[in-house]
Amino acid sequence: MPKILIDDRMVEAAEGLTLLRAAENAGIPIPHFCYHTAFPPEGSCRMCLVEIEGLPKLELACSTMVKEGLKVQTMSAKVVEARKGVLEFLLAEHPLDCPICDKAGECKLQDYFEEYGLFRSQFKEAKEKREKKFKLSRNLILDRERCILCTRCVRFLNEITKTEDAGILNRGIHSEVGIYESELIDNNYSGNLAQICPVGAITDSDFRFKTRVWFLESNESICPLCSRGCNIAIDSHPGHPRALRTRRVYRVRARPNPDVNSHWICDYGRYGYAYLDEAREDRLVWKKGGLETRLIWDKAAQILTEKVRSLVHLRKNSRIGVVLHSNLTNEELFLADRLFRKGLGVEKLFLADPPPGKGDGFLLTSDRTANRRGLLEVGLPVQALDAKALSDLDLLFIFGHYLADGTSAADLKYALEKVETKALFASHKSGLDGLVDFVIPVPVIAEKNGTLTNVDGRVQPFVAGLDFNGDGLPEWRALLDLAKELKVEPKYFWPLASPEGVYQALRKEIPFFK
Amino acid sequence: MDIVIAVIKIILALVWFLVLTLYLTWLERKESAVIQDRIGANRANIWKFRFLGLFQPFADAIKMIFKEDFVPAFANKFLHTLAPFLSFFFVAITICAVPFGDTLHLAGRTINLQVLDLNAGLLFMLAMLSLGIYGIILSGWASRNRFTLLGGIRGAAQLISYEVALGLSLIGIIMVFPSLSLQSIVRFQGENLLGFIPKWGVLIQPLGFVVFFFAALAETKRVPFDMPEGESEIIGFFTEYGGLKWGLFMMTDFMEIIIVSALLTTLFFGGWQVPWLAADGFQWPWGGGWALPHGIVVLLQLLAFNVKIVFFCWLQILIRWTYPRFRYDQVMDLGWKVLIPLSLLNIVGTGIVMGLLK
Amino acid sequence: MIRALGDFLEIIKGGLITVRHFNTNMWFHTLKVLGFKTKRKGAVTIQYPEEKKALAARHRSLHRLMRREDGKPRCVSCLLCVTVCPSECISVEAAEDPDSEIQKVPAEFIIDMSRCCFCGFCVEACPEDAIRMDTGKIELAEYQRRDLVLDLDKLLK
Repeated sequence: MPKILIDDRMVEAAEGLTLLRAAENAGIPIPHFCYHTAFPPEGSCRMCLVEIEGLPKLELACSTMVKEGLKVQTMSAKVVEARKGVLEFLLAEHPLDCPICDKAGECKLQDYFEEYGLFRSQFKEAKEKREKKFKLSRNLILDRERCILCTRCVRFLNEITKTEDAGILNRGIHSEVGIYESELIDNNYSGNLAQICPVGAITDSDFRFKTRVWFLESNESICPLCSRGCNIAIDSHPGHPRALRTRRVYRVRARPNPDVNSHWICDYGRYGYAYLDEAREDRLVWKKGGLETRLIWDKAAQILTEKVRSLVHLRKNSRIGVVLHSNLTNEELFLADRLFRKGLGVEKLFLADPPPGKGDGFLLTSDRTANRRGLLEVGLPVQALDAKALSDLDLLFIFGHYLADGTSAADLKYALEKVETKALFASHKSGLDGLVDFVIPVPVIAEKNGTLTNVDGRVQPFVAGLDFNGDGLPEWRALLDLAKELKVEPKYFWPLASPEGVYQALRKEIPFFK
Repeated sequence: MDIVIAVIKIILALVWFLVLTLYLTWLERKESAVIQDRIGANRANIWKFRFLGLFQPFADAIKMIFKEDFVPAFANKFLHTLAPFLSFFFVAITICAVPFGDTLHLAGRTINLQVLDLNAGLLFMLAMLSLGIYGIILSGWASRNRFTLLGGIRGAAQLISYEVALGLSLIGIIMVFPSLSLQSIVRFQGENLLGFIPKWGVLIQPLGFVVFFFAALAETKRVPFDMPEGESEIIGFFTEYGGLKWGLFMMTDFMEIIIVSALLTTLFFGGWQVPWLAADGFQWPWGGGWALPHGIVVLLQLLAFNVKIVFFCWLQILIRWTYPRFRYDQVMDLGWKVLIPLSLLNIVGTGIVMGLLK
Repeated sequence: MIRALGDFLEIIKGGLITVRHFNTNMWFHTLKVLGFKTKRKGAVTIQYPEEKKALAARHRSLHRLMRREDGKPRCVSCLLCVTVCPSECISVEAAEDPDSEIQKVPAEFIIDMSRCCFCGFCVEACPEDAIRMDTGKIELAEYQRRDLVLDLDKLLK
């Protein structure tokens, strides 16, 4: 591996790496606009200029390959002066409308000006007027004044989606990003353009003017909207005492993970965050004889265990049924298996999932559940849902509200009316609420800890990025509580107290998770 | 006829007492304001006529009368109501022993300008002042509030402690002016020392005066001795009172100031005596004199008495607005370790001097 | 003993300070009552509702929002005032303006005066000079809390 000297530091870099990447790997950031890890270097912004010993002119770090014995200065007076110059040229045309720019706060131009610029403009000429609100696609707005022509968007459309919807039109000062014959960009990944734009030229109309980025709290999570398991960051507002609107999540961004989603997520996942705040189940209620009582979980668990116990005592284990879904984490599926099938001998395990959609062959899969692979690997012998089979039960644990989607309401009502006790663990309100005896609110993936197995069999751990506000609890804890209360395999269940602990147990038993 | 005169005297004395009390509140507000570079109460008006805020006491009184008469739940209603009246009564009754002036000869009658010339007037006054403690303890206890109870206990402890010094400091005066009748004590002070210095108590009993003054300040329960009450910081015995009952406690305080001033004047500053003024006019120590009619002499004496009293009221208010509050242990230290030994020393000293002079 | 006497002297001295204040102030009060005009006054009191102290030029009083020449609010709802406000009393809701030169306008602009601490940071933070605290209104008491919550219309007045 070639050894190079960056800022008097010996750095070993892999063959074929660019200087910029080598420096970044060594913890020396080099400012850049047009370079993006996912594309080949373009070299149009000239921001990454560095000084290389022996060369008369400054070189582009983004497109110079490492070579044995290079001596590079990234912060020499010459380099800093050059960066200042580049920034001054960029800002000659860039409007100073940061107060109304949605990018402000995470804008590279802003950051680099703070770091390397801080000059007073020498230009006396007025800035060129350009189109401020050009519609690029259903959800993207292009501000041509703010554009610095880094061509990241063009390259994304050429190389990632390969749709080649946009390009740089005209020449010189008239250069601008344009779409062909005014046909809007229409693909499932266009939302990424707003994310990769280094300045506020392409903004997302979904996020436009909603809030400012510095109010948002970014939390890592995994997208549960399809079985790909893309890594995402959920940007939520922690709240304001005089807030006019109560909304937690303002946007979802892609989080780079080369093994799953590279730097991208699909628009389905990006704009599908409304489910986090809308129609959430928040009250744990017990319906008995037409009365709704608000309960705490401990009380509900007591009543449910009492019911289970009486059935087990009468050797009526076959009258217990469980409806599961594939949005549960590996740990929860494993616990359900352990508790209901192995512990209580329940045979009637059903599966109720959201209906499949259309995949697009890149990231989005047709399976709209987060953990179908996990379900398979845990080895739960689930049956397809059958309304008739449901009616033949005394006690039914229903996980998820998807039961209401797949079955006709009349069938479901008819079947469930025959079941004596029905407990629903659901994150969202649905038609099921009126048919069951217990409604226990549970968190969604973004609000709990655990692991998911994506479509390729990759197990991804995640932690809660949002607070769960209902008075229920995560399914894994509910299952553990039930197991402990029922004293099913006490030695096995008693030490388990967290998803991490459950995962350790899971690894010991199922070879796939090793 | 005697009864009519007695009734008139009682009414006049009480009116004088209450009006002075009312205007003492005004004086307190105004004096503190002047001390602190302020203006003080000046908003109370009748038809936009403010007159230096002199209507303020009436405004206060009207406000207090119309406030809710509040008794805390579980409090002993009878005792809770009784306490302020008890306090007020015991201090109001002391006025009957205060000599306002010498005798007035009117239409062939000799009227003593004192409601009641008790031959043990001094003891009577001390006794009545001591009984005021009942008001404090009762109010603290009957409010059914732990903090007021503590305030009442603090008050009782303080008053009883200073009662001792108060009584002992007056023994010297009684030794010098051999009488317990306040009128006689004032008459004794009409004589001159060495022929030209008025023989006032303060000159022949300076130490007694100092001890009595401090002890009396403590008796009035005002800053710097406001342990029982401490308006703003420590909760006092009348916390659970409001309206007129609270007003009675407040009036008691101000009346105590007047009574203390009256005692100071009577015992140490010659009471109604004007220097070198005898019954028939001034007699200058360097010879000669200035004959005055009897009415003028009596008026001068009354005036002198009032001026002295107002001065001491002024002084006490000044002290209240100057010094910070003592700590409880400091109050007790001052009472038991300083004032009582000093008063004992005063008795012994007075005895020795009297023995030597005999 | 000597120390106690010293302390006693200090107490007397303290009393004399009070007496001096009383005497000086009383002297000037008396002169005034007698009709003499003196440079110094007996009291520093300003008789508030009748007499009012002139506000300093930089005094921070009730907020107001400025307008553009055409009457639209100057505010572009950049939320910098919301960001900088230490008592979190401002909340702004942005809206789209058809004019692409303005783009962002406040749909709602609310200042909760019951939370405001009059630090003036919002004024300093504003990039458009859209908010000012120079109305000179300092008597802000209201009978209802909701009257202390000022909206866009009230602030633009």
